[in-house]
Amino acid sequence: MFSLIGVPNIDFIGKRKISFLVSALLVVVGIIGFIMVSLGKANIGIDFAGGVMVQGHFLQPVGIDQLRDAIRTEFPDAQVNEVKDFSFPNAFIIKTKRPGTDAEGSQRAKRIEEILGTQFSGNQFTLDSESVIGPAVGEKLRRDAGWAILVSLIGILIYIALRFDFRSGVAATVATTHDVLAVVGIFYLLGLEFDLLTLSALLTLAGYSLTDKVVVYDRIRENLRKFRAKTEFIFCVNRSINETLSRTINTSTTVVVVVVMVFLGGETLRNFAIALILGVIIGTYSSIFVASPIVVEWEARSPRRFKK
Amino acid sequence: MKGQTWRLVLTIGLIVLAFIGFWNTLRYWTLDAADKERMEMQKPGSVQELQRKAMRLGLDLQGGVHIVLRVMLEKIEPSARADAVDRAIQIIRNRVDFIGVAEPVIQRQGDDRIIVDLPGYTDAARAEELIGQTAQLEFKLLETQDNANLILQRIDSVMAEINKAEKAASSDETTTATTETAAPDTSAADTAAKDIFADILGEDTLDITEGDRPFTLYLDPFLFNSSNNTQWPGYVVAARDRRSVEKMLERPEVKRMIPEDVQFAWSTRPEIVAAQEVYKLYILKSRVQFLGKHLERIKLGKGQYQENTVDFRLSGEASAAFARLTGANIDKPLAIVIDNKVESAPFINSRIRNEGQITMGSSATIKDAQNLEVVLKAGALPAPMEIIAKNVVGATLGSDTIRKGFYSAIVGLFLVLAYIAFYYRLSGLIADIGLIFNLFFLLSIMAALEATLTMPGIAGIILTIGMSVDANILIFERIREELRSGKTVRASIDAGYHRAWAAILDGHVTTLITAAALYIIGAGSIRGFAVSLFWGVLISLFTAYVITKLIFDMRKHKQTLSI
Repeated sequence: MFSLIGVPNIDFIGKRKISFLVSALLVVVGIIGFIMVSLGKANIGIDFAGGVMVQGHFLQPVGIDQLRDAIRTEFPDAQVNEVKDFSFPNAFIIKTKRPGTDAEGSQRAKRIEEILGTQFSGNQFTLDSESVIGPAVGEKLRRDAGWAILVSLIGILIYIALRFDFRSGVAATVATTHDVLAVVGIFYLLGLEFDLLTLSALLTLAGYSLTDKVVVYDRIRENLRKFRAKTEFIFCVNRSINETLSRTINTSTTVVVVVVMVFLGGETLRNFAIALILGVIIGTYSSIFVASPIVVEWEARSPRRFKK
Repeated sequence: MKGQTWRLVLTIGLIVLAFIGFWNTLRYWTLDAADKERMEMQKPGSVQELQRKAMRLGLDLQGGVHIVLRVMLEKIEPSARADAVDRAIQIIRNRVDFIGVAEPVIQRQGDDRIIVDLPGYTDAARAEELIGQTAQLEFKLLETQDNANLILQRIDSVMAEINKAEKAASSDETTTATTETAAPDTSAADTAAKDIFADILGEDTLDITEGDRPFTLYLDPFLFNSSNNTQWPGYVVAARDRRSVEKMLERPEVKRMIPEDVQFAWSTRPEIVAAQEVYKLYILKSRVQFLGKHLERIKLGKGQYQENTVDFRLSGEASAAFARLTGANIDKPLAIVIDNKVESAPFINSRIRNEGQITMGSSATIKDAQNLEVVLKAGALPAPMEIIAKNVVGATLGSDTIRKGFYSAIVGLFLVLAYIAFYYRLSGLIADIGLIFNLFFLLSIMAALEATLTMPGIAGIILTIGMSVDANILIFERIREELRSGKTVRASIDAGYHRAWAAILDGHVTTLITAAALYIIGAGSIRGFAVSLFWGVLISLFTAYVITKLIFDMRKHKQTLSI
């Protein structure tokens, strides 16, 4: 039998003061990030903000500053980035956000293509991909995204409450929300872009993180049959975390390995992968240091679990 | 033991089913260009047929155009809003038919939006122009036979001169490139054109020498017979010659030969005449006689002899004009023109004041009548459309993405397989087998559901690997615990599976809930992610509990377990 760790005996619950402090910090940053995203002040992708993305490559090398200047004379807030590891060298992505009207979006796309054609005549520009998203579509997506998060959170809360009890349901949902907020906060701090893929990464990590917490709860429920005395509750929770620790770490390792591979999937999935990796790490942390300690605190304030 | 046999049969059955489901996709994906050409030679259309049955690749993977349109309902009368979007969809469908995209997807979304996906098509500008414009319905008269003949003669002579000049030039310079633009591929076009003449007229009536008639060579007079035997000229062009004819008409020398008040117009759809796909070419007087917006209350009906009809009424102020128009042109055809294409050209039988009826020919089906109804309705109340989102992915970027996505998935898969086999030894290998089946089942279910594989879809598949591994880790860690507590191998395996079940189920169900939420709200590519995650998680439950358990059960009598 090969294993990284046996069954350790670490007092996780005893560290809850520290972990609650760390988590509070993460959540505060997350809430700030969330508010900024809602107000449209964070780095929001064109999916949500509306805008234009033009990706293409030149036949001959072009200095990025030269290109940036050419675009920015007309679109001062345009982002111009070089694309590495694409089939062609000299590839660029140009983004401008928040057009005033739907029609303006299309006009911008045309204008950018014109600039690329005329200012760099003699150096042929090939369009590889182009996205134009009107503000109305962006707004609808933002709304839908909000619904998706709400619906899945409620669905999960109901499911966990049915399978375990209401408290575990709430605790698991709170811990998962904590994970999602933490990733939003880190994304905000790092200035990474929120787009549709980031959102699906957030929802995916919510699912993953819940699985992680449920496994621990499941063990607690099982162990509670053995440790029936009221004083044994904290011991029982601690033991359950320790018993499942090997699995928790093992699974997280594999998931991170898998997600790192998504990194190789190119530009498109980069943010998706970063969000997932952050999510797995934070999710693992909160399964151990947040989800169960919440139940412990709740139990301490209004004991109920041991009544029957 | 009985349970084991049952599970073995189920597993084998599913594997067979999965192979069947995946077969076409596997065949299509493994074809190279040469194979495709050979297949197409043996049986035309077979490659497209196979492509249709194979799993589709999303626009992000194969390139293509995605357009979201909004029908501006606020600009039309409230009473007409109900089916305005459906009518707009019909119009778009007609227009998309012309681009010739293999599998266009045209869908309604919400109250006023239409999504158009053109996989493999990357000419965004043309797609936009074609799809985004508002339908214009007009009524136009046809040019008289004599005038039409005159115009055709002129075009023929101009084209003959051009051809002669080009031939001379090409023999001088000994280049061969000149034929591509104007001069028809003489041998093929000649026989093709003659075939149609022979088929339709029953004999080879026209003596064609290609030098004399380079343009009309392609045209076949199609004789419309009205009730009183009036013959009217329209022309039939084989579908494959359409582009050649268009190219000639686009030449400036030819354009000069066409009077300003005359225009050439194609039929909206190809028809099958004498087993040939053909388009009709009409020579119209370009003056708009009447606009579609004056039509009201268009509906299907039945004529005297139970033939299909389309009935309409005219708005009050327009009926006098229509009465004048029809009264002056009895027994002549009136072309119904939409988007500059002729939907049909029924003959005017009598003066129409405020209620009219278009009688479909005896060969027309109810579908033809419905098409006409839709066209009349659409043109009658043109609801303007605007493009509110657009996404174009070039073919190169698509193939680059799929290559990277594919390799990263493969590398990720192998790393995980190796890790599991290293960590859990022989049992790990059993889990690996389950994992491979998991992937295989997932791909074949997606193929069978005709789901579209997108880049986020590939990400969903990769995450499924994670879920599947998690289930195995949960089970194996339990088995280890049981073994540590001194149980026999057999009891440990049973207890391990049994005790891990609750946690695995809970974990999978929560992920299913997330996937379902993503599917319901997610548009486009996010759906691809949700679909693959949803099915992947379901299959993961199955492989963990049926397939790997089956393998363990089959070696249960052994005293040791490598885990």
